[in-house]
Amino acid sequence: MPVIIDTEKCGKIENCPGEGLCIKICEQGALFEENGDVVLIREKCDDCDLCIQNCPNNAVSKE
Amino acid sequence: MIEMAMVERNENEKRSLKHKNEKCVGCGICSDICPTESIRLGPVLPIARGLVNMDYINLNKDKCVLCGLCASACPFDALEFKIDDKNIKELEEYPKWELEAKIDDESCIYCGHCVKVCPKDAIYLQKTMPEISEFMIGETEIDEDKCIYCGMCQEICPADAITIDDNDVNSSNQKIANGITLDESKCVYCGLCRRICPENAIKIICTTCMYRDEIPELEIKGNIVLDEDLCINCGWCQEICPKDAASVTKPFEGEIIMDEETVCKGDSCHACQDVCPCNAVSIVDNKSEINGDLCVLCGACSKACPQNHILINREKMNLNNIRSKSWEKHLSTLIGESSK
Repeated sequence: MPVIIDTEKCGKIENCPGEGLCIKICEQGALFEENGDVVLIREKCDDCDLCIQNCPNNAVSKE
Repeated sequence: MIEMAMVERNENEKRSLKHKNEKCVGCGICSDICPTESIRLGPVLPIARGLVNMDYINLNKDKCVLCGLCASACPFDALEFKIDDKNIKELEEYPKWELEAKIDDESCIYCGHCVKVCPKDAIYLQKTMPEISEFMIGETEIDEDKCIYCGMCQEICPADAITIDDNDVNSSNQKIANGITLDESKCVYCGLCRRICPENAIKIICTTCMYRDEIPELEIKGNIVLDEDLCINCGWCQEICPKDAASVTKPFEGEIIMDEETVCKGDSCHACQDVCPCNAVSIVDNKSEINGDLCVLCGACSKACPQNHILINREKMNLNNIRSKSWEKHLSTLIGESSK
């Protein structure tokens, strides 16, 4: 099951202490930047959960 | 550039704690053991992947009581704790790691396998091969009046001892073969050049057998040094050495357990592989495989795994001279199976 991004916790990438670390750490290309926000492509998510573990804002989770 | 993390206090005695990030592997043993929760382990995977530029750990100067437990527990010497400018590793009251890594110069044949696999580039090798000319003896003669510089000898020579010289012959830089050189330091007097020469211009006589009693034994001279300051006691040299010349004592004894209830994400994740300081992890058939012989049971992989799939079970630690009962209690928490 793909991850869920809490947009409120996430905020804009320009304010992220990891400078969009989730995008950089995801090797599936499931996360990308669109107008300064992190956007998920659900089909590409491989459930590795690296983004959940490494998000400095704790903005990524699973149900 | 990140400043080196350091805590210092001067009261009855001067105490200081310094984190040496270049020696740190990001295992988090220090943050696990700290009684005041003053050490926070940083984002080890992003650091190892070069995505963020930070030290592996963060010392909270306000919370740290400068007890020195973290420095004693770190098997990699990445925390330096000093009392009155004396490193506690040199004070008899404090625990000592019984770690060892050495290469026996007597049994080493200087093949260099260990140098290639050492994940910390901690082994230096210098090797001198014997001069061929001392062990292969003979006589050569090239008759340049007969030689037509066809180059057949150069092509067939297995020792690369013959060169046909090309020289400019006119102003248009046109080159023509008009010289031949035989390097006697390379020649093994096999005689192939003589046999292939269409002009019978080469004479080669091998006298190696004739002088065999006077020729010394072939000897490879060398020097091998293992820098214990860089070594993390992973055991690669010990595993790869074909002559059993390397021996390593590791900080912990125990095993790695792959949890059966969780699933390794293999190639999509490979966090364990990226954080392992020992190069002990490989992803085989999309699953993580950890070679216990090369692992130091530091636990970096276990903490980096988002699936909590890797469990560390340390059965014994080679830290001796633990005199304080409370320290013994704290340090014993490093032993046993890691919780998920």
